[in-house]
Amino acid sequence: MQYRATLWLRDSIRTIPKLQLRPTQRCRYATAIDSPELFDVVCVGGGPAGLSLVVGLRASKTTSNLKIALIESLDLDKGRMRNPSPDVYSNRCSSLTPASVRYLQEIGAWSHIDISRVQPYQEMQVWDGITGSRIAFDWEVNTRRDVQPSTIAYMIENQNLTTALQTYLEKLGDITVISPVRVDSIDLGNSTPELDLRSWPIISLSNGRRIGARLLIGADGANSPVRTFAGTTSRGWDYNRHGIVATLKLSGSGWGGEGYKIAYQRFLPTGPVAMLPLPGNMATLVWSTVPERAARLKSISKCDFLAMVNAAFRLSPVDLEYMHSVSSGQQEEFEWRVKHSAADSTKVPMEVVDVQDGSIASFPLKMRHADTYTGERVALVGDAAHTIHPLAGQGLNQGQGDVAALVSTIQAAVETGADIGSTLSLEAYNAKRYAENNAMLGVVDKLHKLYAVGSGPIVGLRSLGLKAVNEIRPLKKFFMKKAAGV
Amino acid sequence: MLQSVRYFSNARSQNHQSSVDPTEISHFNMLASSWWDPHGPSRLLHLMNPLRHEFIARCLSSQSDPATNSRLQYLDIGCGGGIFAESATRLPNTASVTAIDASPGVLAVAESHKRRDPLLMSPGRLRYLNTPIEKLPKPASEAEKYDIITMFEVIEHIKHPASFLSSAIPHLKPGGWVILSTIARTWTSWITTKVVAEDIARIVPRGTHDWNKYINEDELSTWFLQQGGWESPRSVGVIYVPAVGWREVPGSEKLGNYFFGIRKLPV
Ligand SMILES: Cc1cc2nc3c(=O)[nH]c(=O)nc-3n(C[C@H](O)[C@H](O)[C@H](O)COP(=O)(O)OP(=O)(O)OC[C@H]3O[C@@H](n4cnc5c(N)ncnc54)[C@H](O)[C@@H]3O)c2cc1C
Ligand SMILES: C[S@@+](CC[C@H](N)C(=O)[O-])C[C@H]1O[C@@H](n2cnc3c(N)ncnc32)[C@H](O)[C@@H]1O
Repeated sequence: MQYRATLWLRDSIRTIPKLQLRPTQRCRYATAIDSPELFDVVCVGGGPAGLSLVVGLRASKTTSNLKIALIESLDLDKGRMRNPSPDVYSNRCSSLTPASVRYLQEIGAWSHIDISRVQPYQEMQVWDGITGSRIAFDWEVNTRRDVQPSTIAYMIENQNLTTALQTYLEKLGDITVISPVRVDSIDLGNSTPELDLRSWPIISLSNGRRIGARLLIGADGANSPVRTFAGTTSRGWDYNRHGIVATLKLSGSGWGGEGYKIAYQRFLPTGPVAMLPLPGNMATLVWSTVPERAARLKSISKCDFLAMVNAAFRLSPVDLEYMHSVSSGQQEEFEWRVKHSAADSTKVPMEVVDVQDGSIASFPLKMRHADTYTGERVALVGDAAHTIHPLAGQGLNQGQGDVAALVSTIQAAVETGADIGSTLSLEAYNAKRYAENNAMLGVVDKLHKLYAVGSGPIVGLRSLGLKAVNEIRPLKKFFMKKAAGV
Repeated sequence: MLQSVRYFSNARSQNHQSSVDPTEISHFNMLASSWWDPHGPSRLLHLMNPLRHEFIARCLSSQSDPATNSRLQYLDIGCGGGIFAESATRLPNTASVTAIDASPGVLAVAESHKRRDPLLMSPGRLRYLNTPIEKLPKPASEAEKYDIITMFEVIEHIKHPASFLSSAIPHLKPGGWVILSTIARTWTSWITTKVVAEDIARIVPRGTHDWNKYINEDELSTWFLQQGGWESPRSVGVIYVPAVGWREVPGSEKLGNYFFGIRKLPV
């Protein structure tokens, strides 16, 4: 596999026609006077993974001498959270595992987080929408009740994290941030009598600038242009599901009160619906469902939307199916049907009473895994390397795990004088992360598939549901272990 | 033991120029093109490189008096394609590296690989010379001497190691270190390098090793200490574990691959 990786860079000149510059532009830049500025590390993508990576490199003494550039097509500065209101939350939230938080603490970034907007949770209720079988995820280590309950994960707005990383990066300084500027194309360099840059990726930017990279890092998300340049295939499938997200207001701060927050997830035949706690009475929704239902949820009135969310945690799949099929009037349907439902109101999230304006959005869900994360002078991190179904809240955390591993790989290379872009230096990173991410992707994918059977005899579905719940038990251990980073 | 000392000391009477073994040089010429292929025949040398730096760091930190220089000057003898020379040049506490090899083929590879890294190309950092150590002009002053002389995986390829070492020593500053790595001449090393590495697993090409030229760690330190003017010999064995990599295994210097370091007495 590694051997192939060395070859694909050479092939990549052919395989990226759509990323190459138009011939006219090419001529303009092909002169020797216009030789690219060279960096040790060029990171494409200033999302959670890219920002965390450059911060990690800057914060470490070993790697602090590296010359680093960060390229982001969105305006990083405009994307920062400024004077946020305590009752308005972004709809893009993630649950950060203790392992991710520990890493962010280690590099010194965590203290820049607006902690008033972070919500730790101590319990997770997961149940099967068909059979009702439940499994409670609470911290296994705490078998004794009198011990302070420990945190399963921390709910945080992605923007809170990226803002903190940017603030800290500014403090650390000495980094070239190129934003808002897009990567237009990536080619390999030339050989001159003085320098042979034929193994160096040369990045052409939308502002006409050209920069060369000893090590090019693709933190550029699921459609990674860096991955395309590297010629790495990313395999997987689309789930034919959309993830609806929304910021919700509940009737109270939760059944456990402020100090003991609970996350809820119910597996419905169309996909899981999850409600995750934010500070106070706020919560964030992640509802995976088929595209038609997602479209309907986005088009119905606010009252009907609230009724659908409340129904999703309380009513039977049959009731839900009916409510999804009508174009309006979900609120009345819910009020009538909920009276006849057996749901124990304290075992489901508190009632949703409001949804923040403009916060309902949806994303297509897919599973992808790149064949390799490394090649000569290229490494992929985060969603550029893997995209996962959000049902286990692992995507961003996997990216933080990648970043921690890549930073330590680069450190080891610097300490022993290796070229940080060489395949030999980078192969340790691939070895540390590939199998681990692959296991997580596989488990989450199977979990989705176990439940995603939309038709067939009810009996079959029920037994499938039961089986799935049985299979959850070892999974529980798996997830709790991953979360703790052990 | 007796026999092996004889084997080693025999060489001392030999004519200096003859330490170069022409079949060895042509063998490495042949390997030149694949020197930097991470999955080629030199992969084991690449994987060993980080341990070399760890060993050097440990030698330097073992001395009680300050180092000869805050930024070190290296002479790397038998540098091959430049695996160690390049890496030493990149370290922040390196002033410069002079790297020499008798084989023109591998040296051409080293020169051309150096051009891939602007840092190595900056003036005065890394200099390659195609010469056997015997022909390297002797230093005219103390300032032309080196803080560290390295010879990694070289003396096992040398016909007359004692004369080879004698040619190297004048280039070292008082208080500086000679650091090398090689393979002990034992039954295990015969099996692991000749039979396993060359014949069975083919991780290094056939003909890379001549087991009769292997030198044991005690022979090396005895030779240096008998000359006088040397202190603090150190050695540690390293073992290659497939799928894991090189690991230091104290005591294994008696079995196979090992690092050796010895310090020239300060003035
Ligand atoms: C509905 C939903 C819910 C989720 N919930 C969770 C959760 O609870 N927990 C969790 O851990 N994860 C969750 N995830 C996943 C998480 O959001 C992603 O894994 C994470 O955002 C990926 O971060 P990243 O930095 O790798 O990529 P991204 O955030 O995608 O960042 C990539 C960046 O690269 C930039 N870029 C792309 N192309 C170029 C170019 N050509 N030039 C310059 N810049 C470029 C983009 O503008 C972008 O800013 C969820 C995902 C979804 C869809
Ligand atoms: C196994 S290689 C080791 C290369 C390098 N030190 C490394 O470990 O990466 C041995 C090298 O020693 C060189 N060599 C052999 N005899 C030599 C001599 N007398 N003077 C200089 N170089 C010599 C060979 O040409 C060959 O490149």
